[in-house]
Amino acid sequence: MAEGKVRTVQPVATSEARWWLWLRITGVLMVLFVFPHVIIKDVIVGVHNIDTEYVAQVWENVLVRVFDFLLLFTTFTHGMVGLRQVLMDFVHSPSGRKTTTWILAVIWFVVTVMGTMAIIGGVSLQPGA
Amino acid sequence: MSDPKTTFTGYARYRATGQLAFLLHRITGLGILLFLLIHIVDTSFVYFAPELYDHAIQIYRSLPFMIGEIFLVWAVFYHGFNGLRIIIFDLWKPEWWEKDIAVKSVYWVLVLSILAWLPAAFIMGKAVIENHFLGG
Repeated sequence: MAEGKVRTVQPVATSEARWWLWLRITGVLMVLFVFPHVIIKDVIVGVHNIDTEYVAQVWENVLVRVFDFLLLFTTFTHGMVGLRQVLMDFVHSPSGRKTTTWILAVIWFVVTVMGTMAIIGGVSLQPGA
Repeated sequence: MSDPKTTFTGYARYRATGQLAFLLHRITGLGILLFLLIHIVDTSFVYFAPELYDHAIQIYRSLPFMIGEIFLVWAVFYHGFNGLRIIIFDLWKPEWWEKDIAVKSVYWVLVLSILAWLPAAFIMGKAVIENHFLGG
C-alpha cells in the first residue's frame, strides 16, 4: 500500500454487495423524509397536540399520505436491512444467515403492510365521535 | 451461530476513532429501529383500533417518554449525519477514507449532530416543563 493512499477494492456483484448498496440508497432517500418528519412532529407540533383528530386532519391531504408512505417504506426497509447487517456479524453459517434473512423479511412485510393499510384506510371513526 | 462473545470482544478491543463512529452508528441505529417498529404499529392503530392509538399517545406524553424522545431526536440527527458521511466517502470520495480526513470527520459529525439538536432539545425541553411541571 502506497504512502497516504487508500486501498480501493472493486466490489464483486454478490447479494451482499446489493444489501450494502441498498442501505446507502435508502439512507440518502430517507434523510429527505425523516428530518422534516422529526422536526415537524416532535419539535414543532409536539406529542401533546397529536391525536386521532390531528392525524385525520393532516391525512385529508393526499400528498401527506404519499409522504408518510415514502417515510414508512424507506425508514423501515433501511432499518431491517441495517439490523440484518448487524446480525450477520453474529450469525456465520449459510443456513443461519438464510433463516435470519427470512425472519427479518417476514417482520418487514407484516409491519410494512400494517402501516400501508393504515395510511390508505385512514382514521377509523370512533364510536360516539 | 458463532460465539457472540468473540464478536463483542472484537467490538470492544479495536480502539480507533472510526470505531467510536461505528459503535455510535450501530447503537443509535438499533435504538431508532426499536422505536420505529413500535411507532409504525401504534400509528397503524388509527385505522385498526383508534382507542388504542389514543392510549399509546398518552404513554408518549408521560415524562420518561418525553425525555426519551429528546434523546431519540439526537440519535436520529447523529445517525443521519454519520450515515451521509459514510455514503459520501463510500460512493463519491473513497480517498477521504485516508486517515486524517476520516478521523476529523468523525468529530465534525458529532459536533454537527449536537449543534442541530440543541435548538430542538431546547424546544422539546420547554414542552416537558410546561406539561409536567407547570400544571399544563
